[in-house]
Amino acid sequence: MGVQLRKGCLELAILAALWDGKLYGLEILRRLESDSDLIVSEGTVYPLLSRLKALGLVESEWVESDAGHPRKYYALTSSGRHRVREMAGMWTRFSSSMSRLLAPVSKGK
Amino acid sequence: MTISGDARQDAQQKIEAYLRRLRQRLRGMNDEGAREIVEELRSHIMEKTAATGGTTVAGVDAALAGLGNPEELAGQYVTDDLLARAEVSRSPVRILGSLVHWASLSVAGFFVLLGGVIGYFCGAVFILIAVAKLFHPHTAGLWTYPDGGGQLALSFRLGFRSPPVGGRDVLGWWIVPIGWVAGCGLVMLTTYIAVWFVRQYRRSLFLPRG
Repeated sequence: MGVQLRKGCLELAILAALWDGKLYGLEILRRLESDSDLIVSEGTVYPLLSRLKALGLVESEWVESDAGHPRKYYALTSSGRHRVREMAGMWTRFSSSMSRLLAPVSKGK
Repeated sequence: MTISGDARQDAQQKIEAYLRRLRQRLRGMNDEGAREIVEELRSHIMEKTAATGGTTVAGVDAALAGLGNPEELAGQYVTDDLLARAEVSRSPVRILGSLVHWASLSVAGFFVLLGGVIGYFCGAVFILIAVAKLFHPHTAGLWTYPDGGGQLALSFRLGFRSPPVGGRDVLGWWIVPIGWVAGCGLVMLTTYIAVWFVRQYRRSLFLPRG
């Protein structure tokens, strides 16, 4: 359960990181590290990106860079955009109901 | 800081050795897919090492440590690729191969594999008996015989040995159509259920579809 929960969160987080536009792997990792408390392993993110691509939620393209090597950029597909919006709504509802449930616990500390 | 040509070469060799091990474990995936994975990870390693001051051995070591063991990393790609192919496949051999891989990674996969093996085995038994009946008409089939305790026991027989003493061939020639229908039905049902589980697993994001 723990692994599935973490992986599920990570998939949502990756999709959300791409909301504003296309990013390549290392940029996604940096975005996740700076904007969330998720402990992200690089060896987990790349296979997950490949899986999200196979599911049609993201698409990718190679872009030449000044760094001397091409970078593989990912962007949300329309179905990925629809999915992340749907998941974000569910997450917000889930999170607020958990907050209500946990409120007495927090007050009683 | 200047990096000597030798140091850069050592670092480069480390990257290539890592990617070679990864590539070896990606065998079985299509060439284009495997090549793209290797190139993406090469790009990642170069990017990371560049961010830490250039292609040094220490920088490469840190980047490779972040990616983890190349065999385990390749395993994650291969599993998803196998399950993706199983999802669109109707071949019991391919589905079982994918389930074996999945079972090595998760308990859910183990139980789906167990169900798959039992389903295919039972289906195969029915089909084999239906075929065997054509070659051993007097001994193959579904037989009942007294088990010695006053009860009747059931036996699926391919017909290579004599029928049980006091036994009765319950279905006779009916085993041929019934065996084919039941066998093929079980194989199809097992395939359908296995593919359903694979599909659910691959789409099992934390939050379900609304």
